[in-house]
Amino acid sequence: MSEEQIDPQETPQQVQQHPFQPQNGGFNGGFNNLQRPLPNGTAVLVLGILSIVTCCCWGIIGVILGVIALILANKDSRAYHINPALYTEGSYKNLNAGKICAIIGLVLSLLTVIYYVVLIAKLGFGALSDPDKLREAIEQLK
Amino acid sequence: MNWLEQHLLTCPLKHLFGIDCPGCGFQRSIVALFRGDFQASFNFYPAGIPIVCLLLFTIIHLKFDFKNGALYIKMLYIAITLIIVTNYIYKIITHQLT
Repeated sequence: MSEEQIDPQETPQQVQQHPFQPQNGGFNGGFNNLQRPLPNGTAVLVLGILSIVTCCCWGIIGVILGVIALILANKDSRAYHINPALYTEGSYKNLNAGKICAIIGLVLSLLTVIYYVVLIAKLGFGALSDPDKLREAIEQLK
Repeated sequence: MNWLEQHLLTCPLKHLFGIDCPGCGFQRSIVALFRGDFQASFNFYPAGIPIVCLLLFTIIHLKFDFKNGALYIKMLYIAITLIIVTNYIYKIITHQLT
């Protein structure tokens, strides 16, 4: 949070605010002026958001997207923590936002899947093919 | 637009049990939004408009990299989650599921 208040402008300033830090990544020499975004930051954000859009009707897709996003996010955040000076800060924020979105989407999707399973277990597969039986089963649930 | 309306994906839960799932109404809501009918869109699915806003904002944010963009996305995302959950619970309570 504190970094947000410090830099009022965008990337050019930001680059100057993170001068070369030998203790963090000494082997990088003087190339740190060229900060680049984290490789999967955008992908994680997009996947995390899509996981909630698809969570509802097709729970499985949301789970898959969420898991992929989380794996990518963990990989990238490890890379960032090893060498923070190498990557832009904005992309790290994106990554974190994407991670949170992915977690929420994953939880919602899992809940949906569990809900499906419980419904099927309660009503039974036999009810699926027979509309009348199905209606009775649902009435009993209420 | 009519083509789109006739080719909406059917929800498996709705198809199997005749019960709405938490996402039912989203596609109808989007179609209504394309028609410019915000009221109908909201009635079909309250989270529809925020989700479209979120997607648009994310695209713009990724392009121009706003300062607090990631924070806004997080907030909007949590709000959408709350809307979806509240909406579904409301539907269960008022027996609008079938």
